[in-house]
Amino acid sequence: MKQEATERETFLNPEYYRNRELSWLQFNRRVLLEARDKHNPLFERLKFLSITASNLDEFFMVRVASLQDMVNAGYQKRDIAGMSPKEQLEKISKVTHELVQLQYRTYNRSLIPLLIQSGLQVVGRHEDLTKEQADYADRYFEETVYPVLTPMAVDSSRPFPLVRNKSLNIGALINDKKKNKKEVEFAMVQVPGVLPRVVLLPAGNGQRSVILLEEIIERNIGKLFLNYNIVCTYPFRIMRNADLTIEEDEAEDLLKEIEKQIRKRQWGQVIRLEVEEGIDKKLLKVLKESLEVSGENIYFIDGPLDLTVLMKMYGLEGFDHLKKPPHVPAPVPEIKEGEDIFECIRRGDILMHHPYQTFTPVVNFIRQASSDEDVLAIKQTLYRVSGNSPIISALEQAAENGKQVTVLVELKARFDEENNIVWAKRLEQAGCHVIYGLVGLKTHSKITLVVRKEEDGIRRYVHLGTGNYNDATAKLYTDVGLFTCKEAYGEDATAVFNMLSGYSEPVSWNKLSVAPQWLKRRFLQLIYREGEHAGKGRKARIIAKVNSLCDRDVIAALYEVSCKGVEIDLIVRGICSLKTGIPGISENIRVRSIVGDFLEHSRIFYFENNGSWEVYASSADWMPRNLERRVELLFPIEDQRLKRKAYHILEGELRDTIKASLMQPDGSYEKVDRRGKEAYHSQEAFTREAREER
Amino acid sequence: MGIRIFAAIDVGSFELTCRIFEYTAKNGMKAIDTLRYQLDLGNDTFTMGKIGKDKLDELCSVLLSFRDAMRSYRVDTYRACGTSAIRETENTMILLDQITQRTGIKIEVLSNSEQRFLNYKAAASKGQEFRKILEKKTAILDIGGGSIQISLFHEDTLTSTQNIGLGVLRLRELLERFAGNREKHERLLTEAIDGELISFQRLYLKNKNVEHMVLIDDYISPRMVRLQKQKMQGMSMTYQQFCENGEYFRNNGRVGREWLPEIYEEGADQVFIASLLIRRCMKLMGAKVLWTPGVTLCDGIGYEYGQKKGLLEVGHDFEQDILACALQISKRYQGSPSQEETLETVCLLIFDSMKKIHGLNKRERLLLRLSAILHDCGKYISIANMAECSYQIVLSTEMIGLSHREREMVANIIRYHQKPFGYYEEVGAAASLDREAYMKIAKLTAILKLGSALDGGQGRKFEDVRVVRKENLLMITVHTNEDMTRERGLFERQADFFEEVYSIRPLLRQKKTVY
Repeated sequence: MKQEATERETFLNPEYYRNRELSWLQFNRRVLLEARDKHNPLFERLKFLSITASNLDEFFMVRVASLQDMVNAGYQKRDIAGMSPKEQLEKISKVTHELVQLQYRTYNRSLIPLLIQSGLQVVGRHEDLTKEQADYADRYFEETVYPVLTPMAVDSSRPFPLVRNKSLNIGALINDKKKNKKEVEFAMVQVPGVLPRVVLLPAGNGQRSVILLEEIIERNIGKLFLNYNIVCTYPFRIMRNADLTIEEDEAEDLLKEIEKQIRKRQWGQVIRLEVEEGIDKKLLKVLKESLEVSGENIYFIDGPLDLTVLMKMYGLEGFDHLKKPPHVPAPVPEIKEGEDIFECIRRGDILMHHPYQTFTPVVNFIRQASSDEDVLAIKQTLYRVSGNSPIISALEQAAENGKQVTVLVELKARFDEENNIVWAKRLEQAGCHVIYGLVGLKTHSKITLVVRKEEDGIRRYVHLGTGNYNDATAKLYTDVGLFTCKEAYGEDATAVFNMLSGYSEPVSWNKLSVAPQWLKRRFLQLIYREGEHAGKGRKARIIAKVNSLCDRDVIAALYEVSCKGVEIDLIVRGICSLKTGIPGISENIRVRSIVGDFLEHSRIFYFENNGSWEVYASSADWMPRNLERRVELLFPIEDQRLKRKAYHILEGELRDTIKASLMQPDGSYEKVDRRGKEAYHSQEAFTREAREER
Repeated sequence: MGIRIFAAIDVGSFELTCRIFEYTAKNGMKAIDTLRYQLDLGNDTFTMGKIGKDKLDELCSVLLSFRDAMRSYRVDTYRACGTSAIRETENTMILLDQITQRTGIKIEVLSNSEQRFLNYKAAASKGQEFRKILEKKTAILDIGGGSIQISLFHEDTLTSTQNIGLGVLRLRELLERFAGNREKHERLLTEAIDGELISFQRLYLKNKNVEHMVLIDDYISPRMVRLQKQKMQGMSMTYQQFCENGEYFRNNGRVGREWLPEIYEEGADQVFIASLLIRRCMKLMGAKVLWTPGVTLCDGIGYEYGQKKGLLEVGHDFEQDILACALQISKRYQGSPSQEETLETVCLLIFDSMKKIHGLNKRERLLLRLSAILHDCGKYISIANMAECSYQIVLSTEMIGLSHREREMVANIIRYHQKPFGYYEEVGAAASLDREAYMKIAKLTAILKLGSALDGGQGRKFEDVRVVRKENLLMITVHTNEDMTRERGLFERQADFFEEVYSIRPLLRQKKTVY
């Protein structure tokens, strides 16, 4: 035992690990490369660029904020790669500045010229408007914008106003016409979020033109401060620490506590300030001092602030030829339209691959259950749901129809807290039994249980998924979902909901492994089993597809079994703290990342097990938060046909030569070398296959 | 048969359980849901004598959630049972009333012997495997919070059952009084356990060994079941294997690779104590194999419901176990098996012929049989004061499967069959028996008195006996050529009481055989 532990120590060397934040920035860079990829239609490239911007916002609000908290608290503990929080922040700042530069180079040098060529002019500065356009902009300002603006000036009697997180603002230096011209005051106005940021201008010469709202405001800002001269105006944007600190143990009412914390989010510490390049030094000084932001956290932007606006531009009508045709998911062959879904499930397990296959059966499953007189109970976990969710409506309907409906709404789903509070209240009003999960743990598992009283007894129908019960994201995220009515799964599903309702865990589980108590151990057992097989010269291989891999125990286990000869292929879309190509440590491990039109989101695991191969799917990534601080599920896919289907997904992604990038020993990623290989785009292939299978 | 849904609730010493069962023709009895909630009621009861307000509130809140679950499954009926933590509170009645008022759930307090019998039935729900094990010399070890119950079987017959105050929670209390490490605690516990077990071994096993030990508990069984699933084993384990897995139980399922992240440790002390108890029991009783059916009290409640409602095929005669237990007590007090058999036969003939009159059921018939078996056990202590001694023996000797109330009834039947019957104010008030129980005692005592008159204490004088009821007469005909003068005298005396109870006059007729 002692020797085993010592051996393991060797795999824990921080040099063998990559910092998760830097790895994430690498991922965002891969998304950015999609915006730079000329093979992608122009508007898709805009979308990718927009995604990198919103990704970065979230990264700052949560990850950077958390590191900043650690630094402020004097926390010195090093991460798995041996970096202190301060070192991480320094490195993040450097890499992010480079990334932001690349974002705007892409925007200014590649995309803007192409947009003009394609008949869309984005007027970057209001000074460049034609007379006719300028008149239109001024009229638009007076009629539409002016009424919703709240200009704010700062002087000795008026303190610096609250600048809302992620809001776009225009800062100005102004001076009183009646006073000394050298005396300037700071004033600002928030660009109203209620108005579209992309404003269509009158067309001319076959060219469509748009201008951003902040430019129109800047042009007319004098109308807001009538007795002042405008010295200068520049847009700025801030990012605040948005990490919620919830003392669940002490909170009497979790829902109220979260509502309180969300309100506090607007007052979080400023962790990033974006300003336009060339900003007036005096104005910058005011912002810097008033917002208490340090130099390395200021980003000088060569273009419009907040590129998430490009998603709005993507939505402009008339440019369909510059976009990919809308994706229409194929039907699930095992479930014919109008068929009784329970009967379909009774015929055998069904594995669905979204978004290639439609998510509608999952919605119909709840809908049918809500009105089926034999259904006794419906239980479901909800993490993120869409606006106007049909699932919520079906659950409400079920409760109104007298079914026992138990819904676990995870109030702590980051940035969906407010949404989820709304759902939770709505469901409660409808008579559902709403639970908020276990103290200290986020419930991230995706599971639905329908209990039905049938002729030959109680039968339980279960849906287990890797993705949220969100019909909107199910069109964009790749996920797998399993329908089954096998007793062993039903028993476990019942036990999961009992646990989530505060009852004790079952004596043992039949099929499911549940985090945080058992899941990590299960994964490690499965990994080490492959190591034992390899050690005895038997067949051993691991293929794992996850969004992120940064759990040290899992990585160390992978290193250990890799040394025993296990061939390991990892498909990790995002963060990967494992390093490939370390001599004597990870030579048998390959890591690839697929970034495509659909967000790779499914978690699928294959273990060769000396020929008796096993395939699992899970809601969990290989991250400490998933394995230790969340309620997650791992479920086996046992039906031979479905196992092959799941394996085919992994096989297809390993075959990808178009959207896959391979991790290099230095941590960078390179697109697959296509020489001598067929061009294979896994997402397109899955789309095709799903259509052919219908 | 359609589907029947039944809920069994166990309000235990450290856990509340609600198990929902489904009964179908195809699958028999099947548990479809189990809700378990840890609540250490035992700690309050065993240390303060009462369940505190906070615990009561929590208990009621959990019971309400059980009620919701029962509603969602649309259960046909339920049975909620409380065990030692409820039984041993000083204010049991008030507590039960509070619970009923607040939750609508009525809790039935099980006596120790009823609880053990249900546990035993739970093991029996495993069917063939259980029956096979009982064929050999077997001990059922039922570990509870307050005490353990050891029941010995040989060739499918219960030979002895004893309750010993070595419950896990009680032993934990003992440990709490002594500071020290695990090794020291293990030494202390071993001394305490061995002290009791050696006496048991000497008295009831006569220093012989058992082959199998059947384990029923809430501490080790769940871990055994987990281990069985992990290692794909059956439900049996040798003594050696159990000892080898000691580490596993001590560490709550953690084996090897200690550095692996582990499930939180819950009730580690109880597991440690239970594990030691099993090891010592197996060692001292020489058991080679431990069989863990992984059943709980709720399974027993569910099984008994199915059995009573005729929803299950029952392969084992549980009534026989209760009778075997009585016979064993009788043997200990040097009763005469042939005399008891005669008395039992006559009494049952009278009981059966009076069915339409007395309105008593199968269970009361069993009480009569037990009374017949134990009717004179007190003479072992004092012939002169046999009635009182018999009464005291029965009252203080547990009989597996009988509730305390039933045992009190048997004790009174035995007591009054030998002395003038006491009226309600005397019998009922003294024994805190209700009117219904009192009337049953009266009816069964009348039968036992009549039956023992025929016996006369001289051994069986007749070859055959017939009992026929005709209107207001009960004709008892004995076939014998012996002199029945003494019996006639006794019979007449007892007949008066019988008539008082039933308004039916018994008549004794003798038929002689002419050779």
